[in-house]
Amino acid sequence: MANTLIDGLKERVSKAVAFNQSVGVVLPSTNYADLIQAFFEYIRSKPEDAWVYVTITKPYENIAKQFGELALSKNIRFIDCISRAAGISRTDPNCIYIESPTMLEKLGIEIINIFKTVDEKTNKYLVLDSLSTLIIYNDAEIVTEFFYQISNRTRARNIHIISLAIEEEGMEKLNKLIYLNDKILKVRDSFI
Amino acid sequence: MVEGGLCKTGIEELDVQMGGGIPVGSTVLMVGSSGSGKTTLCMQFLINGAKQGERGVFFTITEPLFKLTKNMEGFDFYDKKLIESGMVNLIDLRIISERLGLDTEKYSVEDAAALLDVLKDIADELNVKRLIIDSITALCYRLQTKEMIRDFIFKLGSSLAAMKCTTFLTSEVPPRVFQYSQYGIEEFIADGIIFLGDVERKGDLIRTFQTIKMRGTSHSRAKFAMSISAKNGVELAPLLKTRA
Repeated sequence: MANTLIDGLKERVSKAVAFNQSVGVVLPSTNYADLIQAFFEYIRSKPEDAWVYVTITKPYENIAKQFGELALSKNIRFIDCISRAAGISRTDPNCIYIESPTMLEKLGIEIINIFKTVDEKTNKYLVLDSLSTLIIYNDAEIVTEFFYQISNRTRARNIHIISLAIEEEGMEKLNKLIYLNDKILKVRDSFI
Repeated sequence: MVEGGLCKTGIEELDVQMGGGIPVGSTVLMVGSSGSGKTTLCMQFLINGAKQGERGVFFTITEPLFKLTKNMEGFDFYDKKLIESGMVNLIDLRIISERLGLDTEKYSVEDAAALLDVLKDIADELNVKRLIIDSITALCYRLQTKEMIRDFIFKLGSSLAAMKCTTFLTSEVPPRVFQYSQYGIEEFIADGIIFLGDVERKGDLIRTFQTIKMRGTSHSRAKFAMSISAKNGVELAPLLKTRA
C-alpha cells in the first residue's frame, strides 16, 4: 500500500516538474510525509538537475534523520528557515540556515546565491515547503509579495518553483497565494 | 557619465543601483546606528578595491585595531595578505593624535589643521584610492565648533577628490531616528549619503540600505534589505513593501 502511495505521489511530482512553470501542490496533511519522500526519490533519480529545497515546516536535521540518504543527494541544497527560530544551533555544510522565517528578503538572496553557482544549462527547481507554514510566521500579504518577487526573480533565471501547501482549515488566505502559481495540483487520496 | 569614472564597490546590487558605482573622488557619508553594518560595508568596499589593485586606508577612532581585525577575520572577503602587503592599511587615529601631541579630547584649530595635513600626507604617500574614517562623528566630537567641522570635512574631501580617492565617512546616529549626522553639518558637505537602518517585522529586525543622495549618478532611492553573512559579506535585495 505504502509503495503504491509513494508511486502515485511520484507520478504527481513528475507531472509537477514536467510543467516547467510555477506549480502549487495542495495536499492533505496526512499525505505530507509521503509526498516529501516522493520528492526526494524523484530528485535522486534525476542527478543532472539542480534543486533547492526550502524548509519552513521541519528543521533540516529532522529531514536528514527521517529521509536519510534520500535527502542527501548531491543535486539538492537545503535552506532551513525554522531551526534558528526554534533555538537549534546545529550547522551542516549542505544547508543554509536563515535566522527567522520572517527574513524573507534574506531567503530570496540565499536562493539566488545557490542557483548562481549552477550551470546555466542545468534544469533548476525550487521547492518551497511550505506556503502554509510561511503564513504562520508572516502576514499573508507579505508572503504574497515575497512569492511574486521570488517568482519573477527565478523566472528570469529559468528556475521552476514548486510550492507546497498543506490543506487545512482557514484556506482562504492560502488560496489567494497558491493561485498565483501557473498550475495547481491537488493531491487527494482518491487520485493516488 | 561621470568624469573620472566610477568606483565599483564590488557589492553587486549596490553598484547596479548606483548605475555602475560611486563617482571617483566622492566623499560619502555612511550613516547608521550601532550594529547597522557601517564598518563591515566600509571594510568590504576597501578590500574589494584592493583586490582590484586599488590601495586603501582605514582610519579607526572607535575601536582598537586588534578588535577591528578580529571582527573582520570571520568574513570570507577578508584577506590578511592584503593587509600584510600594504594594499589595505589599518591605522588607529588615536595613536596618530597622540604622536602629534594633540589633546585627545578637544582639538584646537591648529590641532585640526595638523591632523588634516597628516591624513592628506598618508593618503598621498600611500597613493590610496579608497579611504575610510570610522567614525567622522567621533572625530567631529573633538572639533569644537560647527565651523571647524565644516572646514575640516570640506578640506579633507577636496584634497582627497583631487587625488581621485573615494572616501567613506561613517556617521553614528541613534537607532530609529531618521537623521544623517550628530552635528547636522556633515551631510551638506558630503557628495553622497547612504543610510543604513532597520525595520521591525514580527519582532525581528531587518537591516535596510538606502541611498539618499549620490551626486553625479541617477541612483535608486528605493529601500533595500541588507544581509550580512560570513560567506558573502554585505548583500542587498529589494525590501518587501508590505508592512507587517
